[in-house]
Amino acid sequence: MSRRLARLLLLVPVLAYTAFSAGPYIWTAMMSLRTTEEIYRSHYGLPIPAHWLKYATAWNEFGYATYFKNSTIVAVISVLIVSVIGSMSGYAFARRRFQFPLREPLFLLIFLSIMFPPQIMLLSLFQILVQYRLFNSLTGLILVYVVTELPLTIYLLRTFFAQIPTELEEAARLDGCGDWAMFWRVMFPMALPAVATTVILNFIYFWNEFLYAVIFITQQKIRTLPLAIQFLVSDQYQDVGMLATGLMIATLPVLVLYLFLSEWFVKGMTAGALKG
Amino acid sequence: MLVTFYNSLHTLRMDLGMRYEYVGLEHFREILTTDAVFWKAARNSLVWAVVAPLVDLPLAFVLALTLHARVPFARFFRTVWFTPVLMSYPVVGVIWLWVYNYDWGIANLVLRAVGLGDYAQAWLASPVTALPALILVTTWMFAGFNMVVLLAAMHAIPADYLDAARVDGAGAWQRTLLIMVPLLWPTIINLVILDFIGKMKQFALVWVMTRGGPMWGTETVATYVVKRAFEWKTLDLGYPSTIAVIWFVIIFGLSLLLTRVLQRREALEF
Repeated sequence: MSRRLARLLLLVPVLAYTAFSAGPYIWTAMMSLRTTEEIYRSHYGLPIPAHWLKYATAWNEFGYATYFKNSTIVAVISVLIVSVIGSMSGYAFARRRFQFPLREPLFLLIFLSIMFPPQIMLLSLFQILVQYRLFNSLTGLILVYVVTELPLTIYLLRTFFAQIPTELEEAARLDGCGDWAMFWRVMFPMALPAVATTVILNFIYFWNEFLYAVIFITQQKIRTLPLAIQFLVSDQYQDVGMLATGLMIATLPVLVLYLFLSEWFVKGMTAGALKG
Repeated sequence: MLVTFYNSLHTLRMDLGMRYEYVGLEHFREILTTDAVFWKAARNSLVWAVVAPLVDLPLAFVLALTLHARVPFARFFRTVWFTPVLMSYPVVGVIWLWVYNYDWGIANLVLRAVGLGDYAQAWLASPVTALPALILVTTWMFAGFNMVVLLAAMHAIPADYLDAARVDGAGAWQRTLLIMVPLLWPTIINLVILDFIGKMKQFALVWVMTRGGPMWGTETVATYVVKRAFEWKTLDLGYPSTIAVIWFVIIFGLSLLLTRVLQRREALEF
């Protein structure tokens, strides 16, 4: 009985932290359904009546449709490229029979580049993008994202491929599989859980990335969501209600997915932390 | 990367068609001896990187312990606590600008509600409170994340170990401190280093919330690099590259040192 009581007592700090953790976001969600006028009358009122149309207004009139599209293009294409190249090179680095020149030094270099801080890459990438006329374009941003996240992806997937026993490949080879078919038909499907982990990790990173975007994108119509929010907060500082709606548009897709796939998200996000 | 190292030895005039001009170690000398803003930014970044893990990890550890003790609805709490880390810095920045709003922000609202209204203030407007205010925001983001990693590591500890200790008469405190912490130590080191490096690189939150102000009170090395490269009309990429190189060496060195020191403690405890 006292153990039950102790557990219930534990609930007090747990609930306090939950309020701290979820409070600000719930508050924002409520404001997103209220007009700025209502908000200035009372900042903590419930969203009654709920102005769902604000989402349509933000989407159509405040440019969130464009920003959302840009973010989606950048994140989806980058994830696709990183996953395909990452899994293929991860596999190549995991199997000793793929011998190519400078294999070990190359992998060491990739491993080291996981640790390069973005600031040190930033200025040189800026120069390179300007040189190749990719500055201020989504293509350039995608290339930068691919380059920055490939090393970690290769590293994580190599670890996974290395754990798959080679007997499977030998069996597939007896059945007449070439390297290419073996990878896509046998190895890649087996690695899908690991690939899914990196897809989530990378998608969240690309969707939220700010530093590279703020330096490499200066045109309004190709801004991604995080970038757009930074500009909107200075342009429309007074319009709290509409800004709150924008924040929800920027976060809801990820959070709704998270509700349904929370185990996968936790796995993906922590995969980066458990390295090393 | 190599381009940056090369840049650091030159001035690079963007207005003159990217013309290189060799200056040797001149930038290094200037930054380390006369650039007061750099030192201010370095101090802020270091404070952030040292304080954040000291706050985040104990908090995350306590939270993980409560869930490990099978609080009801543990899964629900875990899901909620983890959520902030999924949001982008600009989103988090805007939300917390509102939380810290002087007139109607949650921070002052709570203070007034519990009778500490005298302490209500414009948190981001004073150089004294702005940095702690930002550190609290990163704690909000990352405590839940660290908690999840620690909780996973706790579940990986074989129950036998803790049961055996209980049979030997170890109390709850002893079991936690003498058995759990040493077993979790490698995970803790990882998280400390990760938190430390993350804060040494901090850019986005500052950029959205304070732009390094007031009075350089929240300037970090990262924001200073970007300002010197793209905002101040010096049009020289060489100088900020030098800052980036210096800072990279410092981060790398301190991370290695930190790993060394923390690992030695592990050796002593076992």
